[in-house]
Amino acid sequence: MLFTSIIYFLFLGSSLIVYYLIPVKYRNYFLIAASAFFYMYVKIDYIFLIIFIILANYWVGIQIEKSKTRNNKLIYLNLSLLINLGILIFFKYWNFLIENIFEILGWFHFDSQGPLPILNIVLPLGLSFYIFQTIGYTIDIYRGSIKAEKNIFRFSLFTLFFPKLLVGPIERANRFLPQLQKKIYFEKENIIEGGKRIARGLFKKLVVADRISIYHTAVITSLSDQSGSTILFATILYTFQIYADFSGYTDIALGTARLFGFDLMENFKQPLLAKNVSDFWRRWHISLSSWVNDYIFNPIALKRRNWSNWGVFYALLISFVVIGIWHGASWNYVLFGILQALALMYETLTKKARKKISKRIHPSIYKYSSIFLTFLFVTFSLIIFQSATLSDAWSIINGIFSNHGELYYNSPSTLIFMLAGCGMMLLYDIQVEFKISQFSFLANKNWGTQQACYALLLIYILIAGVFDGGQFIYFAF
Amino acid sequence: MEDSSFILHSNKQGYKMTWIGTIKNKKILTFLLKTLSFLAILFLLDFSIGSILKYFYKKQKSGVLYRATYSIDSTKADILIFGASRANHHYVPGIFENRIHMSCYNTGRDGETILYNYAILKCALKRYSPKIAILDFSREEFVKTPDNYDRLSALLPYYKDHPEIRSIVQLRSPYEKYKLLSKIYPYNSLIFSIAIGATKLNTSREYIKDENGYVPLPEIWDKQPDIDTVFIKNELDSNTIKLFESFIKDCIKSRVKPYIILSPVFIKYIYKDQSVNIALSIAKKYHIPMYNFLNDSTFLNHDSLFADAGHLNNDGAKVFTNKLIDTILQKGQNIAGN
Repeated sequence: MLFTSIIYFLFLGSSLIVYYLIPVKYRNYFLIAASAFFYMYVKIDYIFLIIFIILANYWVGIQIEKSKTRNNKLIYLNLSLLINLGILIFFKYWNFLIENIFEILGWFHFDSQGPLPILNIVLPLGLSFYIFQTIGYTIDIYRGSIKAEKNIFRFSLFTLFFPKLLVGPIERANRFLPQLQKKIYFEKENIIEGGKRIARGLFKKLVVADRISIYHTAVITSLSDQSGSTILFATILYTFQIYADFSGYTDIALGTARLFGFDLMENFKQPLLAKNVSDFWRRWHISLSSWVNDYIFNPIALKRRNWSNWGVFYALLISFVVIGIWHGASWNYVLFGILQALALMYETLTKKARKKISKRIHPSIYKYSSIFLTFLFVTFSLIIFQSATLSDAWSIINGIFSNHGELYYNSPSTLIFMLAGCGMMLLYDIQVEFKISQFSFLANKNWGTQQACYALLLIYILIAGVFDGGQFIYFAF
Repeated sequence: MEDSSFILHSNKQGYKMTWIGTIKNKKILTFLLKTLSFLAILFLLDFSIGSILKYFYKKQKSGVLYRATYSIDSTKADILIFGASRANHHYVPGIFENRIHMSCYNTGRDGETILYNYAILKCALKRYSPKIAILDFSREEFVKTPDNYDRLSALLPYYKDHPEIRSIVQLRSPYEKYKLLSKIYPYNSLIFSIAIGATKLNTSREYIKDENGYVPLPEIWDKQPDIDTVFIKNELDSNTIKLFESFIKDCIKSRVKPYIILSPVFIKYIYKDQSVNIALSIAKKYHIPMYNFLNDSTFLNHDSLFADAGHLNNDGAKVFTNKLIDTILQKGQNIAGN
């Protein structure tokens, strides 16, 4: 059930009406049922897996809390990690691991007898997202920063809540579980703000991401026929595409949750305006980067603090390899992660030097050139991210520098639609980032102006949106 | 918070609020009024902008949108050419008119399939009966691909005024009729084409100029022919097969003589295609002539007749159209089946 499909909005509308019609005390139960239906609509078999994950983590969470000794707590935590990571590895990384293990064995002239034990399995949608969420939950109990949830229904909703089920955000127990304990009543603000957020998400997905996707796919699937300028243009557009796709999805998820009275965590804060790579990761997929920061980077950096900078570098490398491979079982994601880690190491090493330079240059020039350079780095690293293999990535890079020719676009309207979409999205981000209130349309204080702007936004979606577009890119992860 | 709830629930004072009690609540009433006014603004904008787009869409005087409208609403040509880009760039109506002395219009449109072609035929048959329908058939015509349905968006502007094509448009999705409640939706992504199409700028663009629907390609291909040696078994789309058969049946029913043609491409095929085999058996079933110009040496040995690997250029189109007419005449067919 795509967030941009009519069936989703029928589901959302009917769920919302029922939700606010039934007595408050039954609303969470209803949301569990609606979320289970939502998940089963994707594929009915997946529900058994998620039920198992819910039951296992619910039980382990309580056992960790009950355990008197640190050792026992650790045993239960390890059990939780074994279950969660075991499921994740089985569904997501099994084939990748087997292929690579046998590849390495082949270097030592070990030939496998018969075919490799490759499994023909489909990755359950959202698995990486809700597994990370439940791992975070059990680690938090182990650390003593939260209490185990004793109410199985509340814990089920914590895992299953449909707006965040498929593509996050990866919620934290200390943020979301308390919200599930509150009685939620109808508030018009929730409906208005939720609706606005959904409208912005639809704009990003249908007008920007899916529009660019048509062009980008056409170019990338015919690299040898395309000029360098065309490939470069498609590569730059891909940065906008993936941002619009994922943040558009997040906006719809957050907007949907808000309609039901819940606040999910923000996942993006104008990442295309980041001034350096570490700033970018504080703004991009925040729920994942902060998760990795809390549960991987900080513990490793703390443990290796006597290594000085090397400890930080080590923690960075591990953290970003995890971020990379979290996206998929492929070496391009590992390399993507390593690239990010290297950039952050460079930034750590040159922090003082860059500060000195910044004092010699006009602040605005320094700021905007930093934003531009960060954008270039992100765009370059996304070449690796978007390529199925490293040789595909090389073909893109090689194509940019070696194929001479004119910029391809099948019609001027394609170009205008893409650039107008990117421009509007960027202007909105600039307005939020630099708090330029006089140009604020969607957050205008005048009710009439604001409503007219949202009406025009919806009209523009009807005019320029792509209604036959594909899946959200992050569904694959 | 609780006084703004319009749902039955116990509040702190222990009494129950009711719908009626809540509706009387001023805040809720204001909220509902504001929501309704927002929806009214949205409806008005959709209606007015959609109507403007429709007006200018219908005012097109050239280009692909105009050709579709002309094919659906106006043409009364004796010979109609149907198909995708190959139909559009391979069949020269002027040659048919000169040699057979019948009027001819080329309704071919880039990227379209039998789904679109059948809709165009139905619209034409509702108005009149042409004498001949030439359907340019492509290899892999019946292969299942969502793109075929996406491209049916070309028919959306005609959905309301042409009930005969509604069942075909609804193949896009079961929710299409609900989307079409919007007046703007049929013109989605067309705003610039509509804006330019209503001006003289459009007619000055060489590449959209047509001769009775036929758009000549000027380029010359200078490569060796590709050799297609791989046989791929694709999943077939039963809808396209069904509509192909309906195309033939409707022609026969309306006394239109159908011809199924596989026009030349600059690719040498080794294997027979699943779709071609099915089309052949259907054509045989209804005793319809089906001529195959794929692998024809007249074309395969002459790159100068092609604009690219998949399309003849203007010179190639003229050679092909003449050869097609020769073939039909040589086979001793009474061309219009009279």
